[in-house]
Amino acid sequence: MSDVYIVGADMIAFGRYPDRTYWQLGAEASLGALDDAGLSIKDIGAIYASSCFNAQSMLGQKVLKEIGQTGVPCINVSNACASGATAVREAFIGIKSGIYDAVLAVGSEKNPRGMLGGAPFEGPPPEGLFGSESMPAVFAEAGMVHAAAYGTTLEQFAQVAVKNHHHATMNPKAAYRKETPLEEVLASEMIAWPLTKLMCSANVDGAAALVLVSEKKAREIGMSRAVRVRASMLVSDPYEPRNPVMFDCNSVTRLAAAKAYEMAGLGPQDLDLVELHDCFATAEILHYENLGLCGEGEAGRLIDSGDTALGGRIPVNVSGGLLSKGHPIGATGVANMVEIVEQLRGEVGARQVAGARIGLSHVLGFGAAAGVHILEKA
Amino acid sequence: MTTDSLVIPKPGNTVIRIGGDARPWIAGFRCDVCGAAVTERTMACRACASRTPPAEFRAVETGRLHTWSVVHRSYPGVAVPFVSAIVDLDDGLTLKGTLRGVDADALRHGLPVALVFDDAGGAHDKEGVPYVGFHFQPRENQA
Repeated sequence: MSDVYIVGADMIAFGRYPDRTYWQLGAEASLGALDDAGLSIKDIGAIYASSCFNAQSMLGQKVLKEIGQTGVPCINVSNACASGATAVREAFIGIKSGIYDAVLAVGSEKNPRGMLGGAPFEGPPPEGLFGSESMPAVFAEAGMVHAAAYGTTLEQFAQVAVKNHHHATMNPKAAYRKETPLEEVLASEMIAWPLTKLMCSANVDGAAALVLVSEKKAREIGMSRAVRVRASMLVSDPYEPRNPVMFDCNSVTRLAAAKAYEMAGLGPQDLDLVELHDCFATAEILHYENLGLCGEGEAGRLIDSGDTALGGRIPVNVSGGLLSKGHPIGATGVANMVEIVEQLRGEVGARQVAGARIGLSHVLGFGAAAGVHILEKA
Repeated sequence: MTTDSLVIPKPGNTVIRIGGDARPWIAGFRCDVCGAAVTERTMACRACASRTPPAEFRAVETGRLHTWSVVHRSYPGVAVPFVSAIVDLDDGLTLKGTLRGVDADALRHGLPVALVFDDAGGAHDKEGVPYVGFHFQPRENQA
């Protein structure tokens, strides 16, 4: 079977687009990725389109109506916050199968305003009566498990936001590009202890796209800017006591990571950078251990050490992450791979991780799904 | 309506059952094969995939606090702050609920709590039938 290469990558600047549709955003990212690859939509054999809130709307077909109705199959996917990684994974399978030489994965989203979360119910509205279903509360509860087990502090959680907001100041496509010192993070509105507002991801619109091709096609295009997909992994949540009453973001991520490392034939010590699912600051701390970036219980010390900041041993979320680059749900998983691709090519300017050759991207979908991709400079 | 004033309330949450005597209880489902306890009736065991459906049981109403968050901002119209709690009941079922009657400073993993049935904030259905809810409160002198 052919190896799979990424030869085109682009994302639009994340933010609010009140005057544009989500498919226009997706079309813009798609054209950007095609231009980056030097390909036309006529070269693309299939479209894998991801969205969470517009999954039933034929996003892929809507994108083609903007950029050229070539008649190729469109596979529209939804997998909560892992939707984007799911589209890329399906695109990977499309190439791997030998059916297609070139495919497009595109994620696009216009998020609803306000706090996300909650579920349909019968009877009295459960929020407040039976605890909280809000996403900040869910990830606060997950963080407090770590705090109880290992003494992780509010300041350590907050330092994740300080770091990722700092990284975003170097990313012109990040929604928020403003330094937030520790005092400012701690002093911002308390949403769900220990999460303040600045420790919650930025609820914005966005789109991102990747062109995936076979090795044969990659050689035709030229390998100089190509990135090889070493692992493409998607899992659902294995049984875990308490889950889903208490959402468990750990076991599903650990399963995806273990399988991805096995597929790639490498381990966390081989990574040069990581884009992980920092939907909340507590989540980044948990995922340091879930992805094997440090030992059990060491995540608080890892953030304190500075090793996950740009210039450190294993920089995490140099794009600014979901906390500041932004989290347009269905686009997020594609966008964090765009960051890895551009880093491996050495094309990101001030936030460049020097000499980066191998990067890992991770997303987590509530409900649950986890996607892990490991990419290598070709 | 009859002159009989006994109104059977409705469960305000899927884990609540109302007995024939109108007294509420909490239902869990336990797999006979692997012992996994969950809050929903399923067709097979989600833990071990045994095709024998986990059997309903009446859960105990004491447990310990596993984790929590003090919620300061929620959806519009929801009164804050409140404590969102994950409680491990003593017979293995885990529930989410609101923990009342404890200072934020006293919250800790392992805090002994009791499940207390309540009027679900005074909620009624469209016909005026009241709902039953529950919350947790600390158990005194049992740390």
